[in-house]
Amino acid sequence: MSTVIAGDDVYAIAEDLFAAMVDGEPGTVRPWTAPVPDWADPVHAWVDLHGAWSGRAVVTTERTTADDLARALLGLPADEPVADEDLQDAFGEVANVVGGNVKSLLPITGTMGLPQVAHVAPVLPGSSVITQVLLDWGGRALELTVRDAP
Amino acid sequence: MTVSAGTFAFVADLVRRRSAIVLEPGKEYLVESRLLPLARDAGHADVDAYVSRVRRAPDEAVHDAVVEALTTNETSWFRDVGPFDALRDHIVPAWRDAGRGTRLRVWSAACSTGQEPYSIAMALADHVPAPGLDVLATDLSEQVLERARRGLYSQLEVNRGMPAPLLVRHLTRVGSGWQVADDVRRAVTFRRHNLLDAPPVGGPFDIVFLRNVLIYFDPVAKRAVLERVRGALRPGGWLVLGAAETTVGVHDGFERVVLGRTAVYRVGAPARQPLIPSPASSPVAPRPPVTAGTAPVSTVPTTIRGAGLR
Amino acid sequence: MRALVIDDSRTMRRIVARTLHDLGFETLEAEHGQHALDMLAEGPAPDLACIDWNMPVMDGLTFVMQARANPDLRGMTLMMVTTESEQSQIVRALAAGAHEYLIKPFSTDAVRDKLELLGLLPVEEHA
Repeated sequence: MSTVIAGDDVYAIAEDLFAAMVDGEPGTVRPWTAPVPDWADPVHAWVDLHGAWSGRAVVTTERTTADDLARALLGLPADEPVADEDLQDAFGEVANVVGGNVKSLLPITGTMGLPQVAHVAPVLPGSSVITQVLLDWGGRALELTVRDAP
Repeated sequence: MTVSAGTFAFVADLVRRRSAIVLEPGKEYLVESRLLPLARDAGHADVDAYVSRVRRAPDEAVHDAVVEALTTNETSWFRDVGPFDALRDHIVPAWRDAGRGTRLRVWSAACSTGQEPYSIAMALADHVPAPGLDVLATDLSEQVLERARRGLYSQLEVNRGMPAPLLVRHLTRVGSGWQVADDVRRAVTFRRHNLLDAPPVGGPFDIVFLRNVLIYFDPVAKRAVLERVRGALRPGGWLVLGAAETTVGVHDGFERVVLGRTAVYRVGAPARQPLIPSPASSPVAPRPPVTAGTAPVSTVPTTIRGAGLR
Repeated sequence: MRALVIDDSRTMRRIVARTLHDLGFETLEAEHGQHALDMLAEGPAPDLACIDWNMPVMDGLTFVMQARANPDLRGMTLMMVTTESEQSQIVRALAAGAHEYLIKPFSTDAVRDKLELLGLLPVEEHA
């Protein structure tokens, strides 16, 4: 029996994250209704989940959006450049929060690895996408993907 | 980023004059977060700019909107904490001592999405044996009542004031949310009701929770609502208001009683029943022993106040 | 009031610390449980520790158990601040001795509510 992680639940996780921690008020994310973006300069953050079910939760967005996220979380002003170190940490924490909440949707409690961040899409050989949610955050696209490890 | 001292002072003064709710220093972030949507809608960059315009061109409707934004019911569990401790430690023991029968009837008026009546049921889970507790929860909006009946809350909603031991005891994860357990839901009946009408069926009540809703009424209506509530309470019955609210100066049919750090209001008791409650037993439940690994849920502390009283 | 913020993410430490500052706390920070224990050995215990679960070297659950076993740290309130949100995980943390449990993501209001429950913040005065 394959594990189902509902897109609605993943969307709710993202909504809660943005409402509580990024923007401090609800209503700042919507579903992304345009076609899947062709990423120009993407950054990916992910956590691996282990246990009765194994997989990976990935957050992908443009570098500029990830910088905006980092600024919002770190309380930096809009024009301040974001150091690589800060981007890694902040965007990694976004994956941590998303991944941890995805993990809690699973029927049996598993464990979660530490977040990783890269400019190249991570490859999990043999895995397949089981859930994909596209968000619109003030006109900026974010992709949340859950992969099922073989 | 937070509002200027001038902005905060103006808003706090306006809110206090219109609603009797006091915004103390430390609540600047609340002014910022509650007024930012209004500021944006009006085309201002920030709350300071918005308030500065509000001050320059006073407008009743705008003042109303500002006060409403700051005084809207923050739906949280066990709001203000004290009243629920008072309920468990003083009010229910007094009710039990009075030997009024086996059913405790509570009316949660203006129950919104249900956090208050469910909090009442959870606070009393060990203190009023089922089926001894009847909580009637009313609100004006059928839409919020539907949500309340379902008893399903988001992670953000359960983060608001729900003690962790009670969360794991009385709610279960359902998808990304948490649902109130059947036995707690069974104790609560939700019904649509307008406070300006005659009291709902189900009384007379031993306890009425009427929290943070009187602020929406003018003085005449306030008194009328309190009169109806008084009529719906048993002699010796208890009225619990919001933290900044009082019947003093509004309706003289209640006696103010201080229980711990909470003030509640009581309707005249029969002659043989004193108005001063008997001394409370310690409100702090003993801590469970430290054990590695999982302990049975029943040994997890159910006291609402954890480390505070030491 | 003083609080110790324990999380391997600098971002999360900054968010928690900022929230606690807004609520009137002074804060210290540690990157993991062992770092926190080392810091606690050096000075008076803070009133509150906000503890992440998943950290390298020593995780939050282990830190809670160590803290509860240490008589010098008896007065310190222990609140988990974590993404671990399964019922069973919360039960484990409470059984290990955590006093409260805050699920990420959280708002400032949520932190305030928890601290009021714990008696670490005054609740509004009654009329």
